Amino acid sequence: MLSELVITPSPHISSRLTTRRVMLDVIIGLIPAAIAAVYFFRLYAVIVTAACVIASVVTEWICNRIRGREKPFESICDFSAVITGLILAFSLPPAIPWWAAVIGSVFAVGVGKMVFGGLGANIFNPAMIGRAFLMLCFGMMMTTWNVPATMDQNMPQIKTTENYTDARTQATPLGLAKQAIKSGKGSEIVNNQLKDLFYGNVGGSIGETSAIALIIGGIYLLVRKTITYRIPLAVILTTFLIAMFMSWVRPQSNISAWAHICSGGLLIGAFFIATDPVTSPLTTKGQWIFGIGVGALTMLIRLVGGYPEGMMFSVLMMNALTPLIDRFTLIIPIGGRPNV
Amino acid sequence: MESLIDRVKGTFRGGVHPPQSKSLTEDCAIQQGAQPKEVTIMLSQHTGAICEPQVKKGDAVTAGQKIGDNSAFVSAPVHSPINGKVKDISLQPHAVLGRGMGIVIEAASETEPLKAPCADKFKEDFDETKYSPQQICEAVRNAGIVGMGGAGFPTRVKIEPNPKQPKETLIINGCECEPYITCDFRVMMEWTSQVIAGIKLARRATGCKRVLIGIEDNKPEAIDAMKEALQKGSNSEGIEVVRIETKYPQGGERQLIESVLSRNVPSGQIPPMIGVVVLNVATCAAIAEAVALGNPLTHRVVTVTGQAIARPGNFYVPVGESIGRLIDFCGGATEKSAKVVIGGPMMGLAISDLSTPVTKTTGSITILTEKQIGRAKLARQETPCIRCGRCIDACPERLNPTRIAHSVKYGDLDLAQKYFMTVCIECGCCSYVCPANIELTGFIKTGKVLLARQKKKIPG
Repeated sequence: MLSELVITPSPHISSRLTTRRVMLDVIIGLIPAAIAAVYFFRLYAVIVTAACVIASVVTEWICNRIRGREKPFESICDFSAVITGLILAFSLPPAIPWWAAVIGSVFAVGVGKMVFGGLGANIFNPAMIGRAFLMLCFGMMMTTWNVPATMDQNMPQIKTTENYTDARTQATPLGLAKQAIKSGKGSEIVNNQLKDLFYGNVGGSIGETSAIALIIGGIYLLVRKTITYRIPLAVILTTFLIAMFMSWVRPQSNISAWAHICSGGLLIGAFFIATDPVTSPLTTKGQWIFGIGVGALTMLIRLVGGYPEGMMFSVLMMNALTPLIDRFTLIIPIGGRPNV
Repeated sequence: MESLIDRVKGTFRGGVHPPQSKSLTEDCAIQQGAQPKEVTIMLSQHTGAICEPQVKKGDAVTAGQKIGDNSAFVSAPVHSPINGKVKDISLQPHAVLGRGMGIVIEAASETEPLKAPCADKFKEDFDETKYSPQQICEAVRNAGIVGMGGAGFPTRVKIEPNPKQPKETLIINGCECEPYITCDFRVMMEWTSQVIAGIKLARRATGCKRVLIGIEDNKPEAIDAMKEALQKGSNSEGIEVVRIETKYPQGGERQLIESVLSRNVPSGQIPPMIGVVVLNVATCAAIAEAVALGNPLTHRVVTVTGQAIARPGNFYVPVGESIGRLIDFCGGATEKSAKVVIGGPMMGLAISDLSTPVTKTTGSITILTEKQIGRAKLARQETPCIRCGRCIDACPERLNPTRIAHSVKYGDLDLAQKYFMTVCIECGCCSYVCPANIELTGFIKTGKVLLARQKKKIPG
């Protein structure tokens, strides 16, 4: 009974936590948002999400084959490609054609992740790479929104670039907010919609409209310790404070801080995108810096930049800074620096 | 009702909570091991200079006779635990070093009486003032006492007064934070008076005013037993039992100091630099025996445990007994076992040669099966690091294990040093929590060895 003894370094037991389990938790955390997405955007949500997830997984498998991996299916089982697909889908407009979603997913996994060497080696958040690519290629599709099915059974399409005055059928709240900044009036239209924003009863990307669903998912991740509170808190707090200040200075042209928090993918970004461990800093201090950076850049884009949302570009910019942040926030041992 | 002070638990940064698995042996009273036939006394059982043998092949030795010593300050002599004849002096399997010189002694007869524990010779009113600090230090040195918790640092060096570094606080380590092990718990329960006698002797030798006995709160019986014995005994003012959180590695001396004193030992330094001495409870028991009875350290309590062991328990065995014989004495393994570990599962060393002998620092032998280890862990299936930072959160020394390990993996020792590799205490928390199953501690240990070799090659 004591033959073939194995020799390995200590420790000889482990917590049994696996990468797959960590990723599975993220998927579970996204379920409330998925339910909300199907509720508000019906078949659109199902088609785009399915297209993105399937395309992401297949792309990872093909890349593994090309790289000559012995078990090309093995890395699929860690579910990271599924998450990339889900998050990309949730950040796309409901009416985007399925083939465009597929192109985005192939680019997200292929160029955003696999060319760097797969899971753990990528610099940028793959889903955001995919979305940025689609934004550049299909600008019009990416800014065409649907009215949620709960408001109008026909789900008519509206474009951000047109002018809207009817609060019930406007494009997106942040599209309206952008107009308010330009014209110097009209912020109250969005502010009156706060309840709809909270539940998700507004135009917007598939999985980002329902604040309550994202908060439930975020709390799940925090309870499971899949993410730490630092990045979400820093992102939300920074956005909130800047928005608060602006709406206090110019209440007519700036929507309220609560409206900023509940719209334009800020919550999905704070809980699910900016917290991607691979592309965010390792150190505690670094995570605060990263979160504050994401929040500040998002507000900068929303208030003075050309896009109404801003989450995607701010996350990508802070991803690029992550190695530098890690370098400058060196962790000092608890007993101080050793004298050597 | 518990007072408020009892409810406040000392603790330290980071750490992990592995399953305790102590119920296998915690109720097993200390029993005699098998009749020794042959023992192998390693000449290096401690930190410091290796002993020179003082006997030759064929010499007759008696129980308690000194058979190896070294005049270096940081060293400890070794003694024969039995009457017998020196059969061989040669390279033998060694738990830590792989191979080391050892003296093999064959028992003189098969019916030789076994040495019994001497706990009954100590009463609560033990008077340590009969012995001068010098006498205590001499007796501890001559008895070859080393830290029995694992590191094996010669105890004399720790307790001897040093005018440059006055000692203020003596901390007694009764944490036993490693899963499975229960030998220290049993010693505290059964040899309470002897342990306290040893503590008082150590206090007298070191001149410490304050003595704190740190015990994890998963051993309330031990806390009560120690408290009660202190109350009954004389001259126990200034000796306090501190209840601390059950968390691994609470028994690491740097962590224990943080838990009971809320102070940190500076990186790269040792507790005496901040006026603290840490001694394990089993070491204290050995001190009492050496000073009061003049017995050298030739026997110790070893926990033989694991779900696969037929009859797990705590045994009083001679140093030098082979681990294989000890496992056989416990009925052997009942199912296919994957690892035999000297020590606990967190820091213990896996061995393949069952003739490896017990040393002064062997507190436990843990048999692990695939079920306890986990299939992926046993097969060493690593997945890529996802930079989740769990290793950083778990590190009691607040290091960045993933960066150090990956620097070592890719051969950049300078970078590993920039992340303070040498501060690592090798507790294993980072590997334990890693979801990617990366042997972070293993890489860091390798890095430290490589760095030491590099320094040796380049003089100055």
